[in-house]
Amino acid sequence: MTNNYYEFFCPVKVIAGKSALEHLPYELTGLAAKRPMIVTDKGVRAAGLLDPVISACEESGLEIVSVYDDVPPDSSTSVVRDIAGVYRQEKCDSIIAVGGGSAIDTGKAVNILVSEGGDDIARYSGAGILKHPLKPFFVIPTTAGTGSEVTSVAVITDESKGVKLPFTSSFLLPNAAIIDPRMTLTLPPHITAATAMDALTHATEAFTCMAKNPLSDAYATAAIRKVSQSLVAVMDNPKDTDGRLELAQASTMAGIAFSNSMVGLVHSLGHATGAICHLPHGLCMSLYLPYVLEFNLETIREPLGELLLYLEGPEVYSATPAARRAEASISAIRKLRDALYKRCELPRTLKETGKVLESQLESIARLALDDGSIMFNPREVSLDDAMAVLRRAWA
Amino acid sequence: MIAKRLQPMASHARRSYVELMFQVMGRALQAISEVDETTRTETRELPEGFLFEMQVMPNGPKLIVEHTGDGRLHFHGDQAPRPVDLSIQFKHIAHAFLVLSFQEKTSVAFANDRMLVDGDISYAVRMTRVLNRLESFILPKLVAERAVKEYPANLKLPEKLINAARIYLKVASNFVETVRA
Ligand SMILES: [Fe+2]
Repeated sequence: MTNNYYEFFCPVKVIAGKSALEHLPYELTGLAAKRPMIVTDKGVRAAGLLDPVISACEESGLEIVSVYDDVPPDSSTSVVRDIAGVYRQEKCDSIIAVGGGSAIDTGKAVNILVSEGGDDIARYSGAGILKHPLKPFFVIPTTAGTGSEVTSVAVITDESKGVKLPFTSSFLLPNAAIIDPRMTLTLPPHITAATAMDALTHATEAFTCMAKNPLSDAYATAAIRKVSQSLVAVMDNPKDTDGRLELAQASTMAGIAFSNSMVGLVHSLGHATGAICHLPHGLCMSLYLPYVLEFNLETIREPLGELLLYLEGPEVYSATPAARRAEASISAIRKLRDALYKRCELPRTLKETGKVLESQLESIARLALDDGSIMFNPREVSLDDAMAVLRRAWA
Repeated sequence: MIAKRLQPMASHARRSYVELMFQVMGRALQAISEVDETTRTETRELPEGFLFEMQVMPNGPKLIVEHTGDGRLHFHGDQAPRPVDLSIQFKHIAHAFLVLSFQEKTSVAFANDRMLVDGDISYAVRMTRVLNRLESFILPKLVAERAVKEYPANLKLPEKLINAARIYLKVASNFVETVRA
């Protein structure tokens, strides 16, 4: 492997653990930010998750100037423009995104507009368009899965054209990600399960796809161990603060892993299924993960076998003959899916979702072939291959 | 000292090789789009008049092909008749050389950040599959296995075309020897 080459980049400060939120005012002040704006959604507000954030700031004499709590699940260019308008009107000087993938992506996009100027976010779509650092930006995730707090990507829907605009730049990364177990404590069981499976998929694909590298491998394996050790425990005891923190950290670590080594066919199929059948992303990941690993098996036998150590622990790993470890890793993931099904009925097949028609499989397969992540899948995927995986995932 | 003196020659040879391979690939892309149905099922999805470019940054060698309809590709040399729709850009001639001398798979080169995509990513994904298909045609099986993710099971092209392409390749591999030495 003399041609081996990789890049690894993650300049996000991670502030994690008990009372992490209370570090926010210090971090803001450190960047001379005095008038922060919160970007969030109605669910976060209703769950009372803004209260600890706002009081943490107020106790340090820092006033949150504005709260925008109307980010939709699929954020759009007009939402971004509206929020930028409020930001300017209120003379804000920094952004705090509180929420899941959509709120975080919206925060990133708003930061582009308020830093670079103008009302048309579409102008900045693409890779490498931004040339300067943006305004101080902080992210407080309230789900443990997307890893958006450490990725340099945002996706915003342009509803007038009906397309999703991608934005890629390292300047989109927040100055810090604040991981506080209080923020995920009230996450409902099925969202806890689905988002954790998203994190597990990020780590597994990062570890088995073409752009894997030693640094991202370290993050990926650590993330897999945390999800395997804590997910079922948290499902049984949702108020388990330590377990919640483990899952939140796993999500961030998996995010660091995949943003440096990409994802593969699970995501290609998942993105296509999300677009056509409107299923949540994490659920799609959970649906496809074992079947895609089976499809890739012979190409990824070695790394997949290694993952058994992190999925099942040293005893099972050493008791399993090397030649059987890859299959055992897939079984471990299936076992986890069964455990989640038992606890919150997280569907394991497309049929179990009740939202996918068998007649839609072909259009899902076709759309998946156009997805950027398919490029990094270790095996070449034809239409027939994609259909075969979908049929296995059907029932 | 010697290395210093030899450097310009090596890099000149590398550039010539990349230029030549772009010529080979451009013609071969046009050829397989005329005879290979599998390629055409990919290229047919491109808009008519779609211009695809591969280029070495900042102003290096180029390859431009156009989709003229029904999956057929037309090779334009290094001159685009109008602004291109999709550009795949190598960050450095050395990276283009790695890929075009089949030392690094196209998809690995993407994974390794050797190149950038300017344009719709779904078209880039499609063109990468076409390039993989092309490489498995024109290369001997042994080399092709190194260059593409998977060697297709269903290669059925007129022997003549494959041979013609391989002749180009022979010329090209002489350059590799020169530069690698
Ligand atoms: Fe994901």
